[in-house]
Amino acid sequence: MENNIALSVNNLNKYFYDPETFQVLKNISFDVKKGEFLTLIGKSGSGKSTMLYVLSTMDTDYEGELFINRTKLTGKTQNELAAFRNAYIGFVFQFHYLLPEFSAIDNVMLPALKLGLKSKEEIKENAFQNLSLLGLKEQAYKSANKLSGGQQQRVAIARALINNPSIIMGDEPTGNLDSKNTRNVFEIFKELTKERGQTIIAVTHDEEFAQNSDRTIELADGELLRSE
Amino acid sequence: MMTGNTNSKIAFAHLTSRLRQTLVATMSVTFGISMYIFMNGFMNGVNNIQADLSFSTMAHIRVYNDLPEDRTNLLKQHTNPDQVINIRNAKVIQYTDGIKNSEKILDRLKKQPEITGVTPQVNINVFYRNGAIKINGVLSGIEVDSEDRLFKTSTFVQQGSWNDLSYRTDGTIIGAGLAKKMSLKLNDNLVVSTADGVTKSFRIIGIFKTTIAGVDNTKAYIKINSARQLLSENSSFVTDVQVNIRDYSKAREVADKLASSIPYKVEAWQVANGQMEATTELRNILAMAVSMTILIVAGFGIYNIMNMTVNEKIREIAILKAMGFEGNDIVQIFLLQSLVIGIIGGTAGIVFGFLISTAVNHIPFQVATLQTLPMTFYLKDYTLSFIFGMLTTFIAGYLPAKKASTIDPVIIIRG
Repeated sequence: MENNIALSVNNLNKYFYDPETFQVLKNISFDVKKGEFLTLIGKSGSGKSTMLYVLSTMDTDYEGELFINRTKLTGKTQNELAAFRNAYIGFVFQFHYLLPEFSAIDNVMLPALKLGLKSKEEIKENAFQNLSLLGLKEQAYKSANKLSGGQQQRVAIARALINNPSIIMGDEPTGNLDSKNTRNVFEIFKELTKERGQTIIAVTHDEEFAQNSDRTIELADGELLRSE
Repeated sequence: MMTGNTNSKIAFAHLTSRLRQTLVATMSVTFGISMYIFMNGFMNGVNNIQADLSFSTMAHIRVYNDLPEDRTNLLKQHTNPDQVINIRNAKVIQYTDGIKNSEKILDRLKKQPEITGVTPQVNINVFYRNGAIKINGVLSGIEVDSEDRLFKTSTFVQQGSWNDLSYRTDGTIIGAGLAKKMSLKLNDNLVVSTADGVTKSFRIIGIFKTTIAGVDNTKAYIKINSARQLLSENSSFVTDVQVNIRDYSKAREVADKLASSIPYKVEAWQVANGQMEATTELRNILAMAVSMTILIVAGFGIYNIMNMTVNEKIREIAILKAMGFEGNDIVQIFLLQSLVIGIIGGTAGIVFGFLISTAVNHIPFQVATLQTLPMTFYLKDYTLSFIFGMLTTFIAGYLPAKKASTIDPVIIIRG
């Protein structure tokens, strides 16, 4: 395996069993390079979100193998995976999913506090920088449930970036954003891949967003259609 | 090292963000614990009162000289079964009544560690007479101090004073029913005559009422030495030695142990009162059943509400896991919440249970010798209920959190 591979999947198969057995992902194999900005597209029901959850290690019910940073993650325990996610993966959900009781900045700080590598002050500073980057300077100390949908989405992105993860994954990370903020997020992602060599894998419906990324993978009925 | 702090912050946020739910959970703990405390206190109070009432005239163990065993056929051992024997009008010609040298027995009894009180009595079957009225009854010669220690007799004295008896050799304290039947008042004279035909007059210096008609209508107390005089017996003669022990339910065992060293009949209260033993046993079983039921009902209540609290937060558990929080963090977060709810709810439960118990203990209930409803305040009940409440809350927080911590976050997120 080459040294510049960030993530690779071999022969990924996944089934849903309820209400009846149904194969969602069929024999999927591909590699993602370090510093690559990858988008996943496909009709709804094509299995792209399901695949992203497998890649993010949050779903372990699959056949095949998953490697991130040359570490084999298939077969690891829940706690090992949690620790791995904490350090190497940032995830942005389709619907923001913040802790509503916490302020925006507290939400952003959580993964870093869990990682525990930096002092609380440092973490707070980084969190504030991330929020500023996403245009949320003013909202930093507001309670998460007082923010608009778009603002919450951006807080979630800031949270995904806090530990400088080697891979950032997003399930329609710009789905709730207006065009201006979508462009802003896109620029940020682009910069992260170019300047810091972080890898981005994002599921999107946004044609423009996909076209401007480094590579687009299309899924249809659980099969890999196009991998340009 | 940071995560402990973060976890407690999350736990605290959960508790305060939904104050209403936290309050409901806390209240379910409070309710369960206070209910347990109150019901146990009340049950024990009732049980104790019943035991107290039963043992107000009866000791746990009685030592007395039993009538000799069956002697209707003295020749039985010395003849063959095919021989015909005819004995008519068999009579016991020599029989020692009562216990002659009581000091030795009293000494021996007082040395037993499980015995809490001993009192000698000289009980005589007499006729009470006043003018034309003759009533059959029991004249009880007693030691004033030790009798009171065993039976709290002084609390039943309605007129006069129990202690007056100790310096009035001609005084007697008689049952209220007996006084009424014989038209006698305080300071009147009561004439008694024994089976042997001795007659003596006593001054009524007190009237008692135990509310047990059989006692109130037939019993009178005099000093033990006066009773001995009446029978022309010496100063170590007694008819009964009444003994109380630490735990009345062990009377049988203690009686069996004593029987080997005392040459008289040693009888536990259960032997003399089979029906009372049954009711006591049943009462204890009932108390246990009630206590268990409350424990289970309260336990399920607490468990349900804690389970609900965790399940409402299940989505947040998934997000935390997605961000890299491990199973232990999740369990820690919810155990911390359980701990806070358990401690606050438990403490409130103890206070609330005590208040209810105290209030009920003040409700008037003037039947027999009772003034208010009975209640016990045992530290054991309070500690046990608190421990139980904490334990249930802990388990109820732990199980769902543990379950949530072991599944893929995506299963929760997808719903």
